Amino acid sequence: MAILEDGRVVVDEVAVVTRSIGDGEVRVGADASTVAWVAASGDIRWVFVNGNVYELDVRPPGGRRRATAGHSSLAAPMPATVIRIEVSPGARVSRGDTLVILEAMKMELPIRADSDGTVTRVACKAGDLVQPGVALVEIE
Amino acid sequence: MTFRRVLIANRGEIAVRIARACREVDLESIAVYSDADENAPHVRAADRAVRIGPAPSIQSYLSIDAILEAAKTTGAEAIHPGYGFLSENAAFAAACEKAGLTFVGPPPGVIARMGLKVAARELMVAAGVPVVPGVTASDQSDAGIESAAAHLGFPVLVKASAGGGGKGMRAVRDRESARDLIAAARREAIAAFGDGTLYVERLIEKPRHVEVQIFGDTYGNIVHLFERECSIQRRHQKILEESPSPALTPSVRSAITQSAVAAARAAGYVNAGTIEFLLEGSGDAARFYFLEVNTRLQVEHPVTEGVTGIDLVRAQFIVAAGGRLPWTQGEVSQRGHAIECRVYAEDPAGGFLPQAGTLLLYREPAGPGIRIDSGVVEGGTVSVHYDPLLAKVTAVAESRQAAIARVLAALRRFPVLGIRTNIPFLIRLLEHPDVRSGHIHTRFIEDHAIDLLNAGDPPIEAFAAAAVAPHGGAVPVTADARTAPPDPWSAIQRWGR
Repeated sequence: MAILEDGRVVVDEVAVVTRSIGDGEVRVGADASTVAWVAASGDIRWVFVNGNVYELDVRPPGGRRRATAGHSSLAAPMPATVIRIEVSPGARVSRGDTLVILEAMKMELPIRADSDGTVTRVACKAGDLVQPGVALVEIE
Repeated sequence: MTFRRVLIANRGEIAVRIARACREVDLESIAVYSDADENAPHVRAADRAVRIGPAPSIQSYLSIDAILEAAKTTGAEAIHPGYGFLSENAAFAAACEKAGLTFVGPPPGVIARMGLKVAARELMVAAGVPVVPGVTASDQSDAGIESAAAHLGFPVLVKASAGGGGKGMRAVRDRESARDLIAAARREAIAAFGDGTLYVERLIEKPRHVEVQIFGDTYGNIVHLFERECSIQRRHQKILEESPSPALTPSVRSAITQSAVAAARAAGYVNAGTIEFLLEGSGDAARFYFLEVNTRLQVEHPVTEGVTGIDLVRAQFIVAAGGRLPWTQGEVSQRGHAIECRVYAEDPAGGFLPQAGTLLLYREPAGPGIRIDSGVVEGGTVSVHYDPLLAKVTAVAESRQAAIARVLAALRRFPVLGIRTNIPFLIRLLEHPDVRSGHIHTRFIEDHAIDLLNAGDPPIEAFAAAAVAPHGGAVPVTADARTAPPDPWSAIQRWGR
């Protein structure tokens, strides 16, 4: 990938013309015939092309967060309310077991174990309003 | 009109739509809002707005006291409930009447009666409206249930009489497996409801969902406004609706709309309502069965407005003010084809999980025959507290194929960024050959999940566009930059319900 001075972007050795229309709208393609819309959010570039949406991570491959092997913490995918906790610290769980039930947008969302292990910490209680990305339960 | 000032007890796109109708008929509109919606489009769409409470619905849009108080302080004379929230709450309709407010909808007694599934079914049977054949066997032993099932004919659905939510429910396909499944349904029924009474009904496999819009006035006039087919659903919620239904022949259309009128008459129906049916089979041999009555304006009402040219909300106000229906049955017709897509903030590949966040970029499409009903704007937030419906895209054209082409073109020019939406999913759905040919049923999405959830790899144009994103700075986007690809198989497992 390279950005040339004339506005062309080279992807996989193919030069793609890009022309910014402004306000997030760009023209792309060999003859700039495709309309795309783009928006940036942190390291993510959101791109809309022909009705498809792509979330592209702009960090170099080495710089991305990786889950530490053998340990995982499970977080809410969105702001939600904790309805019920199904496990307590020390409990043995198998992959797929329901750990916590959240409610958001009138729907119940089960948070399930992503691996076999032992619950080391439960970091929420029923009634809590939890934010995305904050660990609810940790498993080792 | 017998009232001049209307309080809209709702939010989002439907509140915006109702405020527009108010303006057209010279009614003053009053919006209500929770703390989460202070700057929402529906607040700006109305003439005035009143805060009714904190973000959770139970303390705001679902609070009868807060809404009646807002009506009192603003001098509102009528309340339009929209859909959802308090729209089918008979106690709310009664409380409005008691407070001297006109409730724009059916009388409280009708709402209450139609809300009781068993009573509604009995009323329909008496009115000669077909219902799914079923029986609460007088012999409730396992053998008694088994013989009731055999009498109805397999396959059947055995379910808890007391229940709902799928608990104590079993599909029984043959006599051999019947005994075990009946015992299992009974155990679940007792565990969930403390009542092991079982109900047996014929199982309609892969039915279509076809509903009929009806409208009544206080003079006893009842008119139907044809059907809508809403078979494409996920999580039992419609996402694509159209009229006419591709499944109805003229004779079946005539029969189903007449049944809907008979149902509305039996219910003593006034104002806008919908009679929902399941449709089984095809051609003139297709059979339909009463499902339930929705005693409110439907989300998908623009489909009916598209093919009839009628403004349903305007008619709701006329009837609520004591006027006669503005048209007779002979004056309404179904012309061309309308199709509506519901655009939700949700992640189809993640089990259709609702999404919340900020709309970084949101540009609605426009064009001939395209109608957008929306309740959000670019830069606005989608809150975790409410239904994640962002917009409805309705296309009207001279034929079904032209309407599909029109709605597809609109969706391909409807960029929504910053929150995942079902727009790419809706496009794949509309491109599916079975949807194009009209061969759909209520389990279509589950049956075709693999095809529908496969987003494919980003084209090089996407990387090129990302490289020049505004505010992001020109940065090289590595070719493997794509975030974790959605895995259709795991998504399907996560659906489990």
